[in-house]
Amino acid sequence: MDFKSFRKKSPWILHYNTGSCNGCDIEILACLAPKYDIERFGALNRGNPKQSDILIVTGPVTKRAKERLLRLYLEMPEPKVVVAVGACACSGGVFRHMYNVENGVDKVIPVDVYVPGCAARPEAIIDGVIKALEILEKKGKEVELPRWCSVEVKPPVNRVKLLNRCLEELHGRRRG
Amino acid sequence: MSYWEAFILTLISLVIGGFIYGLERIVRARMQGRVGPPLLQPFYDFFKLMDKRSIIIHSFHAFMGVMYLIGTWFALFVLLSGGDLLIAIFFHVLSLAFLVVGGFSVRSPYSVIGAMRELLHMVAYEPLYVLSAAALYLVTGTFQVSGILHSNHTPLFYLPLLFVAVLLSLPAILKKSPFDTAEAHQEIIGGPEIEYSGKFYEAVYTAKWIEYIYAFFFIFLFAGGNHILGALLVIFSFFFFNLLDNVTARVNFRQMVAFHWYILIPLAVINLMLIALWRS
Amino acid sequence: MEKVVYALFLVPWILAAAVFALPGASLHRLRQVLTFASLPVLVWLTYLVWNSHLPITMNSPHWLKVLFVVYDYLLLLYFLYQGVKFKNFLVSVLALFQLFLLTWVLLIMPESSVPDFYVDRLTAFMFLIVSTVGTLICIYATKYMEQESLERENRFVAILLWFLGVMNLAVSVNNVEWFFALFETTTLASYVLIRFRWDEVSLKNALRALWMNQVGGIAILLGLLFGIKYYGFTHFTQFLTLAGKPGIVMIPLGFLAVSALVKGAQMPFHRWLLGAMVAPTPVSAILHSATMVKIAPYLILRLSPVIKGTLLAKLLIVTTGFVFVSAGLLALTQDNFKKILAYSTISLLGLMMLTASMGSSMAVLASLTLILFHAVVKALLFMEAGIMEKLFKAKYIEDIRRLIERAPITVTFVSIGFMSMTIVPYGIFVAKWMAIEEASNFLSHGAYVGSIIFMATGGVILALLYFKVIGIMTRKRGEFYRFNLEKLPFVYLVSTVPLVVFVIVGSIFIAALLQASVNPVVAAVVGSPAPISAKGLTLVTPVSELYGWQIIGAFVLLLIVPILAYFVHFTGTDRVYEYTCGENVKLNIGTYDFFCIQSVEPFVETTAVALFILTLILGGGLV
Ligand code: SF4
Repeated sequence: MDFKSFRKKSPWILHYNTGSCNGCDIEILACLAPKYDIERFGALNRGNPKQSDILIVTGPVTKRAKERLLRLYLEMPEPKVVVAVGACACSGGVFRHMYNVENGVDKVIPVDVYVPGCAARPEAIIDGVIKALEILEKKGKEVELPRWCSVEVKPPVNRVKLLNRCLEELHGRRRG
Repeated sequence: MSYWEAFILTLISLVIGGFIYGLERIVRARMQGRVGPPLLQPFYDFFKLMDKRSIIIHSFHAFMGVMYLIGTWFALFVLLSGGDLLIAIFFHVLSLAFLVVGGFSVRSPYSVIGAMRELLHMVAYEPLYVLSAAALYLVTGTFQVSGILHSNHTPLFYLPLLFVAVLLSLPAILKKSPFDTAEAHQEIIGGPEIEYSGKFYEAVYTAKWIEYIYAFFFIFLFAGGNHILGALLVIFSFFFFNLLDNVTARVNFRQMVAFHWYILIPLAVINLMLIALWRS
Repeated sequence: MEKVVYALFLVPWILAAAVFALPGASLHRLRQVLTFASLPVLVWLTYLVWNSHLPITMNSPHWLKVLFVVYDYLLLLYFLYQGVKFKNFLVSVLALFQLFLLTWVLLIMPESSVPDFYVDRLTAFMFLIVSTVGTLICIYATKYMEQESLERENRFVAILLWFLGVMNLAVSVNNVEWFFALFETTTLASYVLIRFRWDEVSLKNALRALWMNQVGGIAILLGLLFGIKYYGFTHFTQFLTLAGKPGIVMIPLGFLAVSALVKGAQMPFHRWLLGAMVAPTPVSAILHSATMVKIAPYLILRLSPVIKGTLLAKLLIVTTGFVFVSAGLLALTQDNFKKILAYSTISLLGLMMLTASMGSSMAVLASLTLILFHAVVKALLFMEAGIMEKLFKAKYIEDIRRLIERAPITVTFVSIGFMSMTIVPYGIFVAKWMAIEEASNFLSHGAYVGSIIFMATGGVILALLYFKVIGIMTRKRGEFYRFNLEKLPFVYLVSTVPLVVFVIVGSIFIAALLQASVNPVVAAVVGSPAPISAKGLTLVTPVSELYGWQIIGAFVLLLIVPILAYFVHFTGTDRVYEYTCGENVKLNIGTYDFFCIQSVEPFVETTAVALFILTLILGGGLV
């Protein structure tokens, strides 16, 4: 039996704020409220990476948030997709080129869908989530790694080790 | 109920429980002025979880999740097979033990806090259930579930206060607001179930559907041999506890235990003693 | 048969003397062999008694009576001496008071031809516990004391063996005055054992145990005094003739019941048992919890036909039920493993006496089942506590964290012990279940409704307590594919494994066990056996049934599965770290300490005192 078709019927969401101004976060919550009600599509805001399929990230990824973002990302079981919501998350937005930000989520983890706007409108977010679901349905179950990461993995993956290797590389990259 | 009927009912309880959960999500959404997910949503979740890559902390923990499902299933079978009601209640404790030990076995703060609160839930509602077993015995003259289901008396008419008490503690069993401290999604993110993922979370997730059946069957017993009334009671309590879930905020565990011990249990005892005095 | 009964008292004493006479490190093996010998000998003797025609009544020669009187005075003078020597006001005053009362009793004691020994099935039942659990404890002690100090090992083991004889004697005397002497001898035993190490804490706790138990002794003497005054009764069998008569004077019975409460360490007299734990002699802790305190429910059981249904019984139910719940609650605040066990002992003793005071055949059956399984399980748990202390240096809850990584066998045994006290198929649960169902027949009585609430609440509180401990023991950092079983000394295995086996096998065949072994005892106590029967594994009670498949199912779930869980490895699955909101934190998880409960402790003790006084005054008919 092919379960792939069920992926888009029950997207569970993890929402992480990497230092946004909270404008986008409010809009994401608005999606759950009666007017937009994305639970119609089976979406739930789980708040737990281990049980989520979609990681919605807002904010420009501050230096402090970088490591946390990576940890949460590696904690999510595949298949998973990442949606960057808001101008900040896509490219740094109004915070771009500040001394303490990474200029966008895709500098740390691979992003599948970019939702523009400052703040992104709920319609746009829903649209982005739907796009993400299409990608999710096609994805395989292999472990996904950040693009800058050169660690080789073969299943079964010990993510504790994987995280440590990734972190080494992340910090090493910054130093180098 | 014969063993075969009970067995079949237990087997399909997963499906029924799934439907109840789906219905609950719709009802809850409607109460909040939303549309809500489709009725089959729990099954979509079920199949999706099947397809996820599972990641675990260690095997013991993951195995305990699976055991929680099996334990709950077995507890339900004990209840449905028409045996002793008290035994069935204590089997429920046994099934929870797996969840609790699983929750304790990882070094996750949320999981440990959640497991401990799970036990505190038990401390809150367990005495009430034992009391209601005694009360049902008082009215129907038997501890056997099959006997209660064929009794000529309707326990509800003798035990209205006790029924109210059980109704009010229903959220504590099913971990719904106001008594959802063990799960507390906004606070400890699901408590003991937090570290499960993929197929193992699926086991925990579906075990909860079975708990629905367990709890509602208990309500059903309050109608004795009057099965139509029983069905009405179940439907009523279903809507009632969804309403309660929507309109109340979470209390902390001390308030929960205090409410059960100082309000619900005395309520039940008053009812019990009055009936017993009247009878004797 | 009389010789066999005498042998049951004398053999332990002879062995004790032999062990005592063989001091020194070099003779350790020999002492061990002697101690080992006590097990088969005592079991065989008990078997003979059990299979003989009970009850056996034995008259005693006159010199024995004189001997007892002399012994009594010597004992009390010794107490007085201890009180003076250690400048303990309470001990000396109580000893003086006891001397005074004893003299009075002896002056007015009527001459009676009632036999002084009365060995019925209840006695044989207690023999059984003493000669199995008790001797296993002695065997365990030889090894334990070897690791502690070889020089004083012989003394310690000798005291333990001597105590077994005392215990056997105490449960077979009929004469209340003798019972007083033996009651105080067990007090002496606990005094000597608690102060065994002669440090400050031990001495303080020993003296506390002494004076508290002296209060119990005084209660017995008062009971005897009033028994003589009102009825001219001096023997238990005489008191039993009162059963079912209307309008009896309860004063003697009230005092005897109070002495049981004291010996059973019921609140507010629970401190002495806790003190026995603080004193660094775990073996004595075992002895206290597993065997010595069983005198308390034994005494209530002896009297239960008489007090059944009276106000005294109802007040006892409320008092002991209250202790059952509140001792469990207070146990939650403890972080010392042995203290947790002590509190749970107090708690379960409450339950035993509660069921014993109900007095109906089902309730007595429940009480006896509790006594049997509790003795076994508590002995097991205390032995494991000693093992953890000696081998793994774990005394506090904090130390046993993640013990499973070091000591899987010990953890499994402790878990079995803990679970057997709360969870579904085990003997203690079955007893609780029968008691609740029995109490459901009397719902118009406040005391019985109270007992249901107490049983249900106390049960879950104990479950909370045990799972708190199990949880912290079984916590693991991560997977280990190849775990090493710890190496336990042979003696430790010999003394613990039989207990585990008994708990499991006894619980599986609970129906047969109750039917064949415990029910005759019920018949001896109540007069008629409990209306239960065994159909295969199924236990059939008057109102309900515990099916064999339920027992087996629960065992498969509870026992086989967790053990299997060690060996199940999901090898193809990813491993991950714990969720910490993405933060990089050091995970050092403790457990709840329920500090908030300490605030109710004064309230609990006040209530316990109030209930105690109520039991004595209202129940004893002092108004
Ligand atoms: S995109 Fe705009 S609204 Fe959204 S977080 Fe950034 S600054 Fe705030």
